[in-house]
Amino acid sequence: MSNQSSCSCTAQPQGFRAAYLDWAQMLSGAALVIFMWCHLLLVSSVLLGQGVMNAIAHFFEATYMAQVGGPILFLIFVFHFILAARKMPFRSREHEAYFEHAKRFKHLDTWLWVVQVVSAVIILVLGSAHVYTVLSNLPITAVRSAARVQNGSWLFLYLVLLPLTELHVGIGFYRIGVKWGFIKRSTRKGFHAKENLLTIGMIAIGVMTLVRFLTITVQ
Amino acid sequence: MGRRLQFNIFRHNPLDPASTPHMQPFIMEELPNMTLFIALNKLREEQDPGLQFEFCCRAAICGACAMVINGKPGLACRTKTVDLPEEINLLPLPFFKLVGDLTVDTGTWFRDMAKRVRSWVHTDKDFDPKAQEERMDNALADEIYELDRCVECGCCVAACGTALMRPDFLGAVALNRVARFMIDPRDQRTDCDYFSVIGSDEGIFGCMGLLGCEDVCPKQIPLQDQLGMIRRKLALAAAKNFLPRFMRS
Repeated sequence: MSNQSSCSCTAQPQGFRAAYLDWAQMLSGAALVIFMWCHLLLVSSVLLGQGVMNAIAHFFEATYMAQVGGPILFLIFVFHFILAARKMPFRSREHEAYFEHAKRFKHLDTWLWVVQVVSAVIILVLGSAHVYTVLSNLPITAVRSAARVQNGSWLFLYLVLLPLTELHVGIGFYRIGVKWGFIKRSTRKGFHAKENLLTIGMIAIGVMTLVRFLTITVQ
Repeated sequence: MGRRLQFNIFRHNPLDPASTPHMQPFIMEELPNMTLFIALNKLREEQDPGLQFEFCCRAAICGACAMVINGKPGLACRTKTVDLPEEINLLPLPFFKLVGDLTVDTGTWFRDMAKRVRSWVHTDKDFDPKAQEERMDNALADEIYELDRCVECGCCVAACGTALMRPDFLGAVALNRVARFMIDPRDQRTDCDYFSVIGSDEGIFGCMGLLGCEDVCPKQIPLQDQLGMIRRKLALAAAKNFLPRFMRS
């Protein structure tokens, strides 16, 4: 009998592409999760005082991290969308199958994925507008940010973008843990509860920051 | 006197051109310790002898009576009516080919799946029927058995949003099957060999971590942990290609 187990790593029928794409999706997602949490905390420094936020913003510009890092992060953002969009139900048959299933099944994790897909598309559009206006109006200062927030349409954009981003980031973080086996059956429930608290906390910090921007006097 | 249960049961015979898919209501009084398996048999005996559903062991071992119970895939024999509301909706499992009413053909898909993941011990050792059986550590035997408890009911696939969108996705049952051979020392396949079987978007990298499988498996097989383990193992096997040649083992 021939040895059916023989296989050469260099001659895979389908290659390693699926694994590389999965790595890239996870790593870009993890990078964005870390960035979004840091971003929120840094912007919320305005709660400690305008001077604190201005100093932090100045540091990132003096070191060119904003000018160089900003566009790089935007590329990662678009790259991550394209990678993750491979899973989205674009065809009507897939769309129908998923939603029929989700409605029938009433299963939290199945619906959380819908939240991720819908928020992804909205974040792509609104987040792009946000990145463009911030990076084309450097330097970042508390007064400039306040002026933007006090302009009605931008406030509306941030009130949508903030919770959706935090939800997407929180669910994405949980899903990376589940998919890659860092969250086990025994720790899933506890992790989910902690992650909900984290998401609510982040949204609360974001809302407080927006309120602070609304109360800063702009000449 | 027990509750008055209303069963809404999916009816359709795909072989009959006049048949259209519809839900048919049945009323029945609840009995003590009644399972859906008992209720369905009673319905067939007393109200409609033409009702099609499948069962064999009535003890959650054969996996034949899987159906969608109030939206959730599960085994009829293992589901007590007392745990359900008075209105009970029964649908056949999605994903699989409908035979009629609540009966689906899971066998054809499972046979094909077993071929796709090459679900047998791969070894080049010749079998010697006269030799004593090789000993296996008890803990390891338990570990393998834990994954081998799958009854192929199809609930995990029917609860998987990914599989329902993309019928070529292998689903948790197939990936768990591979995990079972991965820890079996008699199987000589390497990570790389397993990669060629499930290292694709139809295999482990198509799994979106929705955990429907984990939450419905009637045998509580640790699917979440197995899927995570396989993804890490195969992703690392692929990442090794970035190492210089002398460091790849």
